[in-house]
Amino acid sequence: MNTEILTIEHLSKHYGKLKAVDDLSLTIERGNIYGILGPNGSGKTTTLGIILDAINASKGSYKWFGNKPSKADRKRIGAILETPVFYPYLSGTKNLEIIADIKGASYSEIPDVLAMVDLTKRKHSKFKTYSLGMKQRLAIAAALIGSPEVLILDEPTNGLDPQGIAEIRNLIKKIAKEGITIVLASHLLDEVQKVCTHVAVLEKGKKLFAGRVDEVLSDSVLVEIAGPDMDKIEAVLSKSDLINKYSKEDQLFIIELNNGINSSHLNKFLLEQGVDVSHISNRKKSLEKYFLELLADTNDKTS
Amino acid sequence: MIRLLKIEFKKVSNNKAFWILLGLYALILGTIFFGVQTIVNEIMVDAGKKAPIPVTKISLYEFPNIWHNLTYLAGYFKIILAIIVIIFITNEYSYRTIRQNIITGLSRWDFLLSKLLMVIVISIAATLFLFIIGIILGFTNTAEVKFSMMFENLVFVFTYFLETFAFLVFSLLLGILAKRSGITIGILFLYFYIIEKYINYKLPDNWGDFLPLRAIGKLIDIPNTSLMKIFGLNFREFVAVQDVIVVLAYSALFIYLMYLTLKKRDL
Repeated sequence: MNTEILTIEHLSKHYGKLKAVDDLSLTIERGNIYGILGPNGSGKTTTLGIILDAINASKGSYKWFGNKPSKADRKRIGAILETPVFYPYLSGTKNLEIIADIKGASYSEIPDVLAMVDLTKRKHSKFKTYSLGMKQRLAIAAALIGSPEVLILDEPTNGLDPQGIAEIRNLIKKIAKEGITIVLASHLLDEVQKVCTHVAVLEKGKKLFAGRVDEVLSDSVLVEIAGPDMDKIEAVLSKSDLINKYSKEDQLFIIELNNGINSSHLNKFLLEQGVDVSHISNRKKSLEKYFLELLADTNDKTS
Repeated sequence: MIRLLKIEFKKVSNNKAFWILLGLYALILGTIFFGVQTIVNEIMVDAGKKAPIPVTKISLYEFPNIWHNLTYLAGYFKIILAIIVIIFITNEYSYRTIRQNIITGLSRWDFLLSKLLMVIVISIAATLFLFIIGIILGFTNTAEVKFSMMFENLVFVFTYFLETFAFLVFSLLLGILAKRSGITIGILFLYFYIIEKYINYKLPDNWGDFLPLRAIGKLIDIPNTSLMKIFGLNFREFVAVQDVIVVLAYSALFIYLMYLTLKKRDL
């Protein structure tokens, strides 16, 4: 079975001079809970809009399930973008019937998804009478119709109170347990940390970083190393007992150190082995700090 | 196609504005259809007082002329149907449901097709409404009804369908281009009642006949009544093939423009 659900290659979207998405490449695999993390205006929604065919890309391409984009494949995806969007004068049930009609799904799913998001009691009320939390939950219910293989959620907890946030996060985890791949766009570091398995960090449409959440945002120390002779570094690393594991990414080695070892230990070891190192830094710390600075910046501008 | 229509019907099912406007259209047109003869005859009697030749009361409701008379009259009220269509399409933009429809799995062509199907259904409904009233009025006002008389001149009823359809397609295009209901309705009125008439005035000879809304309106010419004959006017009592071709060509062009707009524009 194909494990690659979504591949994005060199995707760009320009609005005049503004680059909303800038040469973005990503791969999302089956079973991932993939967080797209970035401050407001970093290109999250634009990216999701493109891969859902609502927005035309300026450059680049994407594939769903290894295929070129088609409406047939889009029916295998459940998605909400930004605010929940429904016909305000129709009831929750009627709105979901329209979604089911478009997806070619059976109406018999509707009671189940309504129960899942706890909206059964209000199913005959008009959408415009719903509270924000109920609207968000109806949007998730709509995304679940047609038994999608992938669920795309864009800021699903935006504007909710703490209780509502907790409910939605539990719901997402519950859905993920059923084996559905989830793509979650969020500007909340904490949310991605709590919910996601993988993360890509965006800033001004560029991908800053992508990887496993436990590697990127966990407390274990990750070290980046680069040098003029990468083969020699690898030869030394593979023999070292200081490190738990390592991987190569672009022109860097990403190293997970054993307990009690820090980057200066590693640096000293590499020097002793006669390896020339041009770059060494603690990744996790710098990323988190960087991201918080990013958020602080955007908050300053909006406040 | 059936699935798309089903979706559209669900969208309008609980939409009060849609049904109120449709009811209003039926009410206004029904009242006018049933009342027009009395009004025209009152005018005729007034005109007759001053006329050199005696004017007899006329019947607008006799087969087969009734079809020409009613379809011509109804042509003035297609603007109400246009407003319904404009509200219907611009709602999809203001609620942003067009985007959700596409995300959920409609292609852009599906979306356009669903709106076109709805325009066809509205045009058929308006045509049937006119046909039924025509049959009632015709039977009650024609002295000796022959079966063949009933269906003579029925070409006007089919032409009325085309007139309504083409006008609504034009309104749909405006709605897709402008996205906001108020602006779209404003543009339609401005273009229909002022801009196109001005362009027509400026164009040489019969060139104005090729302007879209004028071509649509020209499909069914003013019916000849004895009143017209008093003034020495003589209008066309048939539907010209050239007009039909021009209107069909415009409809195809508008549909293509809508498709291009939907395809190229971000949602």
